Amino acid sequence: MDTAASHSSSSSSSSSIMFYDFLDKMRNPASLNLVKSIKSFIVSFQFSSANPENDSERVQEFFSTMEAAIMEHPLWAGATDDEFDCSMEGLEKYIMTKLFSRTFAISPEDVRIDQEISEKIHLLQSFLRPEHLDIPPFLQNEASWLLAEKELQKINAFRAPREKLHCIMSCCRIINNLLLNASISENHVPGGADDFLPVLIYVTIKANPPQLHSNLKYIQLYRRQEKLVSESSYYFTNLVSAKSFIVQLNAKSLSMDEIEFEESMQAAKLDSEVSQVEALQAQMDPISSTRMHGMKKNIDGRSNYPYMEAEPGELTVEDVERLLSLYKDVVTKFSSLCRAVRHPSATRTKPSLPVPKGRDDILLQLEGTITNHPRGEGRGT
Amino acid sequence: MGCSSSLPDRSTGRLGGLNVSESGGVVDAKNLRVKLVLLGDSGVGKSCIVLRFVRGQFDPTSKVTIGASFLSQTIALQDSTTVKFEIWDTAGQERYAALAPLYYRGAAIAVIVYDITSPETFTKAQYWVKELQKHGSPDIVMALVANKADLHEKREVPTQDGIDYAEKNGMFFIETSAKTADNINQLFEEIGKRLPRPSST
Repeated sequence: MDTAASHSSSSSSSSSIMFYDFLDKMRNPASLNLVKSIKSFIVSFQFSSANPENDSERVQEFFSTMEAAIMEHPLWAGATDDEFDCSMEGLEKYIMTKLFSRTFAISPEDVRIDQEISEKIHLLQSFLRPEHLDIPPFLQNEASWLLAEKELQKINAFRAPREKLHCIMSCCRIINNLLLNASISENHVPGGADDFLPVLIYVTIKANPPQLHSNLKYIQLYRRQEKLVSESSYYFTNLVSAKSFIVQLNAKSLSMDEIEFEESMQAAKLDSEVSQVEALQAQMDPISSTRMHGMKKNIDGRSNYPYMEAEPGELTVEDVERLLSLYKDVVTKFSSLCRAVRHPSATRTKPSLPVPKGRDDILLQLEGTITNHPRGEGRGT
Repeated sequence: MGCSSSLPDRSTGRLGGLNVSESGGVVDAKNLRVKLVLLGDSGVGKSCIVLRFVRGQFDPTSKVTIGASFLSQTIALQDSTTVKFEIWDTAGQERYAALAPLYYRGAAIAVIVYDITSPETFTKAQYWVKELQKHGSPDIVMALVANKADLHEKREVPTQDGIDYAEKNGMFFIETSAKTADNINQLFEEIGKRLPRPSST
């Protein structure tokens, strides 16, 4: 308990010291029996199929067994509580680093939830403001919140549950310091959770931490049980609660006009779809992508398509290059348009390109080309 | 070092977490550690009550916490037991109401706070009582706290209403003022007395 407060200031250095200390002890011939148990435990995992709840139980049980074994072990005779605890932290890190690929974000369900949350946050990022969560102006400090966001974004740099949890604690610590400073300078009574949770939610949305759901689940299941208590448990619960708020977030969850919310979400969806297509296209064909960008402004005018009125006899060989590039523009625009229009939730803001009668068939042909076109295929779907 | 443990005795808290129950964790029969959740509308003074309680007494065993929304404080009761309260504050704004179960799960105590100058906060307090009766742990100790008792002239919720409601629901009731520190320590001492003691040592 209270570990969070104590491993705050000296996180990474102390965590590597404790880990090397653990490895050192394991290299000692006297700990051969412990090493054997650890190895056989890790091997035993490779022979069973993944099942998070069951796996968590096995790991936690193994931690307890090892704890008892270490406590009785002559190598730890006379060890202080701190030294003993460091060895247990080292053990957790060792085991979970070895079992990481077997235990982290393994089910397709988890992968899907991670993606859904990340996509939703991406949409919210484009329009959400602190006042939508009623964060009072004197607590707003977007520049300093960046520091808290960075802590959350680091979460995938670590595999040990303790270190992942540490990212969450650091983020919360930064927010708390800012809240404390704001309340001192404004001579305002600290608002407790009324102030803290909205800022944490806002910071989480701005950070869009990678695999949020899977990281929380992994910490919950594999952090040593007696360490996910007290203050650590409280701040962990706050991030779980921020995640849950974001997942359930709808027009009624914010201080925002409902219609404005829906419009903002749909505009953000459309934006993100177009930019996905553009990004994909930029990878494949940087030239025409920049071209398309420049032409976007004139999307309603036909000045960008000078061959619209041309007759076959007027074309020369020099026109081929230009025609090909225009063709590519049209195909990419059209496929991104099709994508956006087909997306049921984006229909409200369906953009209307002026398509004169009689050219529908050309568009249809184009669409046909897309499906047969080896490059277009990737873009269209 | 980065990994200190403040559990008093290896053999009690550790081995398989035998003594660390979901409800906050009882260290032993003489030294209780309990999770306390604070519920109530925003602005009723939940965090002021806790800050008063925590700062009013010096607890050398308590490490500095990182913020004002989680605080812990140990008190000694007359029967020579100590109780370490781990106090979980919750956001009182309506839009976060659905998240409350994440916080009160496993709590041994719920302190439900309202503001005597605001009948809406009294209504909200009753909502939390019902919610805990339905979804909280069945042996949770509940206290109803009427805060801002110093604001007599603005009182809109009569003391008797609070008493009656608490009695009907088997709760402990107290009027407090975080501003004058009135009844703050009494609140926590009374709660400590009402905690179920672990039957075996």
